[in-house]
Amino acid sequence: MSTVVAYKWSANPQDAVVGSDGTVDWSRAKAGVGEYDTIPIELGRRLADATGDELVGVSVGPAAVASPMAKKAALSRGLDRAVVLADDAVAGWNLTRVAAALAALADRAEATIVLTGDASVDENAKMTSALVAGSLGWPCFQDVSEVARTDDGWRLTQVVSGGTREIEVSGGVVVAVTTDAVVPRVPGMKEILAAGKKPVDEVSVSEIELPEAALEIQGRARPVMATRKHHVFGGTDAVNQLVAAMRADGAI
Amino acid sequence: MATTWIITADTAVSSLLDTARSLGAPVTLVALTPEASAVDGVSTVVALDAGDAPVEALAPAVAETVTAGDGDVVLLPNRPAERVIAGALAARLGAPVLTGVREVGTGSVTRARFGGIALETVATSGPVVIVADGGAEAPVGEPVRATPTTSVYPARVTASSAASTTVANLASAKRIVAVGRGVKSEADLAMIRALAAKLGAELACSRPLAEGLDWLPKDVYIGVSGQTVTPDLYLAIGISGQLQHMVGAQDARTIVVVNTDDKAPILAYADYAVVGDLYDVVPALTEAL
Repeated sequence: MSTVVAYKWSANPQDAVVGSDGTVDWSRAKAGVGEYDTIPIELGRRLADATGDELVGVSVGPAAVASPMAKKAALSRGLDRAVVLADDAVAGWNLTRVAAALAALADRAEATIVLTGDASVDENAKMTSALVAGSLGWPCFQDVSEVARTDDGWRLTQVVSGGTREIEVSGGVVVAVTTDAVVPRVPGMKEILAAGKKPVDEVSVSEIELPEAALEIQGRARPVMATRKHHVFGGTDAVNQLVAAMRADGAI
Repeated sequence: MATTWIITADTAVSSLLDTARSLGAPVTLVALTPEASAVDGVSTVVALDAGDAPVEALAPAVAETVTAGDGDVVLLPNRPAERVIAGALAARLGAPVLTGVREVGTGSVTRARFGGIALETVATSGPVVIVADGGAEAPVGEPVRATPTTSVYPARVTASSAASTTVANLASAKRIVAVGRGVKSEADLAMIRALAAKLGAELACSRPLAEGLDWLPKDVYIGVSGQTVTPDLYLAIGISGQLQHMVGAQDARTIVVVNTDDKAPILAYADYAVVGDLYDVVPALTEAL
C-alpha cells in the first residue's frame, strides 16, 4: 500500500533555443524535478504521514532520470523511495505511452492513490494524470487542492469555475493537484545527503507491456508570428498618437 | 468511413465543430451533460448522464461509446473534465493524445510542442485524440434524451461552495496589461495597476515577476509554462519579448508595446509601440485614456 507521486525530470522550454527550422536545442537548459511536481510530492508526504503509507515516486524519462543528481533532487523532497524507467528512447514517446509506463510503475508500487502536478513544465499538456488513470482504470480529478482518506477511498476538494466542490471516491484515484495546494519544502543539505541512501528501483522497457500510440513526425518549424503593423511612435506626442491609433483600430 | 467524434460537457465547442466539418466525415457528438446534448449541426448525438456523479466519472461509459477506429479523429475541448475523459479514452484505444493543436487535416496534425516554441507536423493513421480550445458557444437545438449507463466510476459530489476570492480570468480577458522586468520595484506596480484599471484590463506579467521576484501570482504569468491568452488588446510594458513569452500572447488581436530599448525583440511583435521610459509613458498613457 502506498501513496504514489508521478514526477518528471525535464528542462524548462524557457531555457531552450529554437532554430529557424524548428529544432529545439536543450543543451543550455538544465533539467530538474518540474516545479509543478514539487507540490504533489509535498502533498503526498503530508498524506502519507497521516495514513502511515509509504510515499513512492515514479518517473519515466531519459536515462538521466536514474542519475544520482535526479535521484537526490526527487527523493530529498520527501519521497521514501522511487521506481523509475530511465531510457533515452522515452524522448520519442507519445504521452499515452509514457503514462502507460507510469501506470505500470504505480501498479508495481501497489498504489492506492496517484498524485501528479498540475502540468509538466515542458509540455504543459495537463494530460498525464488523465492518461495514467485511463491505464489504471481509475477515476481522475484535476485541479484538486485537498486530499483526505476515507473508509473506502478518498475525499477530494476540487477547484471548479466559481468555487470548490467536495468529491468522494471509492477505491483508487489519480489526482492532479493545483499549483497552490501546498507550499513545497526546500530540501536542505541533510535531506539531500539522506536522499542518496534511499532506494531507487529501475524498471526496463522490456519488463512492461506498453501501447504503441506512435506518431510519425513529418516536419518541424519555428512558429510563425502574425503579421503586425510595427508603428513606432516617438517624440513628445507619442502617447497621444498611440491612443489615437488604438481608438482608430477599435482596440480601446 | 471514418467518423469524427466530439465529446463535451457543455456547448462551447464552435471551434471543434468547425474542425470536424473541415474533415468532411460524419460527426458524432457524445454529450456528457443534458445541456451539451442540445448542440446542433452534427450527424448523431449520444447523450450520457452522470446523474449525481461528477462528469469525470463517466470515463468508462465514454470509453465504451466511442468505438473510434483507424482514421477517426476524437475532439475534446481543453477543460479539466474533458481532459480526464480524453485520457481515459486514449488509454483505452491505445491512441496518441495531441494537445496544442494548430491545424487538423485528414491524416495529419500540426501541433505546438514545448509550450509553443516549436511546431511539429505528425502523420496519424490509427484513431487520434485531440484536446483543443473549444471556442465560442455553438448553436443549440433540442436536448437529446440520455442513454442510461451503469459504466460510471464510484464518485459523487457531496458539497459545493462558492469562491470568496475573485480569480483573474486571463483566458477570457478582452484586454490585458502585462508587465515585465522593466519595472524597477514592486511598489511601482501600482502605476501599472492604475493603467489596467483605466483600460478595464486584467493585469498579467512575464515570468521573472511571478517566479523569482514573486511580485505577482504564478497564475498570471504569460508564456510557455504559464498562461496562453487571446485578448483583443495586449499591452506589454517593460517586457523584452523572448519567444517563450510571446507564444503565450501571439494570438492577441492588437499588441501594443512600451519599452525603453528600441532593439528589444518584442518590437517585432508590436502593432503599436512607444519607445521610451515606462515611468514617463505609463502615467501619461493613463492620463490620456
